[in-house]
Amino acid sequence: MMKKALLTLPVALVVTGAIAAQAPEDVLDRLITKSGNAAYLTQSPQNRMMMPDNPAYMVADDGEKLFKEKRGPKNASLEECDFGEGPGVIKGAYVELPRYFPDTGKVMDLETRLVYCMKTLQGFTDNDPQIKKRHGNDSDMMKLQTYIAMQSNGMPWNPPLSHPLEKAMRDAGEVMFYRRAGKMDFACATCHAATGQRIRASVLPNKDVAEEWTKAISWPAHRVGQDNVRSSQHRLLECLWQMRYPNMKPGSDASIALISFWTDAARGQPAILPDMKR
Amino acid sequence: MSKITPIAAAVAAASLFLAAGQGTAQQAPAAAPGAAPAKPAAPASEAAGVKRPEPLKKRAPEKTPGQKTEVLIMDAQGIRMAPADLSAHLLAEYLILESAGFDLAQPTQEGTTGRDRLVQDEIQKLCSLGKGQQLDAKVAAKVSELATATIKYPEGGIKLGDWKKGRELAWSGFGFRTAHNPDDHGKQAPGANCYNCHQLATDRTGGTIGPALTSYGKLRGNSEEILKYTYGVIYNAHAFFPCTNMPRMGAKQILTDEQIADVMAYLIDPASPVNTSAMSGMSGM
Repeated sequence: MMKKALLTLPVALVVTGAIAAQAPEDVLDRLITKSGNAAYLTQSPQNRMMMPDNPAYMVADDGEKLFKEKRGPKNASLEECDFGEGPGVIKGAYVELPRYFPDTGKVMDLETRLVYCMKTLQGFTDNDPQIKKRHGNDSDMMKLQTYIAMQSNGMPWNPPLSHPLEKAMRDAGEVMFYRRAGKMDFACATCHAATGQRIRASVLPNKDVAEEWTKAISWPAHRVGQDNVRSSQHRLLECLWQMRYPNMKPGSDASIALISFWTDAARGQPAILPDMKR
Repeated sequence: MSKITPIAAAVAAASLFLAAGQGTAQQAPAAAPGAAPAKPAAPASEAAGVKRPEPLKKRAPEKTPGQKTEVLIMDAQGIRMAPADLSAHLLAEYLILESAGFDLAQPTQEGTTGRDRLVQDEIQKLCSLGKGQQLDAKVAAKVSELATATIKYPEGGIKLGDWKKGRELAWSGFGFRTAHNPDDHGKQAPGANCYNCHQLATDRTGGTIGPALTSYGKLRGNSEEILKYTYGVIYNAHAFFPCTNMPRMGAKQILTDEQIADVMAYLIDPASPVNTSAMSGMSGM
């Protein structure tokens, strides 16, 4: 396992090129220095030590094969999929999502765009396991998302806001972030609007400190406690569960609005991809 | 229930997104002055097939000027211009309650639905303060008044329960979670979640979102006044701290009277570890 991960790492570095010729742990180390050793960034030295052997590299390795493989009823690869930078361009695409796509008239995040391409290019449908299964290391969805996102490691978050719908979704996401509801009156801001606060032993990231927040939103990340690589959509779902909110449809516009806002909040800070979290 | 029922959408741009979402190619209304021209949504007929997506041009984000912008609003009250900040609220309400993003029909442990969890009550509305927004003194007084009116003190006076039961309640974060993995109250009773945000007895690590409560009873005693105050804070803390982060454990029926008595014993009983553990051992201080 470790051997495979070590073999994958140099390949990843070559692929992502000059801007990101740095490992995710180097990105994290620089953020730690820049933030003056923020408690959120430094809370798990063990995870920091394990980052070079992140199991997410193996998941991404599988993702690369799936990305290039001709699959589905239309026997096509995903190499023509446009993630916003042109067909097949995945380098730097993830840090500029969510964005507005004229071909769907919607603001889409990585997961919804990937699903769209798997349907239109490859011919998969909602009930195919390739699309239906959204979570877990063994899902196509997580393999592909990890591979695609990794091509933006070290690059600054820069989601576009020039289209009115991008701006509208980001602004609605901000309202939702501060909107208190549920059995316990929680909003996202209850836990993510101050620095260094803890839920039990876990240090919480502050949305208003971009150096902390970039790590918070750097998904996919391997979650040690769950022994699986997890997505942004999964993180959102777990927060909503703790907040005593009802279930959310994967890729819903409500989720895109929140992800638009939280990505904008990390603007300019480098993405840590793949990350490793507790 | 929200009065806002945006049938089409909250902003002009949002109607684009609706048109695509419903799979009907509608002509979008004209965009607001100054906004980029709205294009009609492409038919979302993915079944139509192999159409290769057009390459998208890279766009740098525009700097948003400080001036107030207006956008076109379409809702039950018709089509009109409204300030952009209002449109964000309308779109948020639409996304939460109208766009099928959440499972509004999901049953809750208290016998209501997901929708009931998401529709805001008065206190939730008044206390949804944005970034840097200060709580207005009049709003604070209103919240406090609303909260005070909800507090029902137990008949026969406030009595302390069993601190050992209170200790386990304080530690448990179980209960009322729904989403993808609903808590089954038939298997385990809901807890009080205290340690999530508060340090209590120092043998266990508590959170720091709320104040540390180590030595609570030792410092405050067990007078009638303290009992009444403590009960009130647990029942509906907004009466004393308007727009606090503290959940309304009594008013929202998260804890029963008996459970509140047990949690109070954990805080106040001289034999409770909250009052016998050393303050110097506290973490997060």
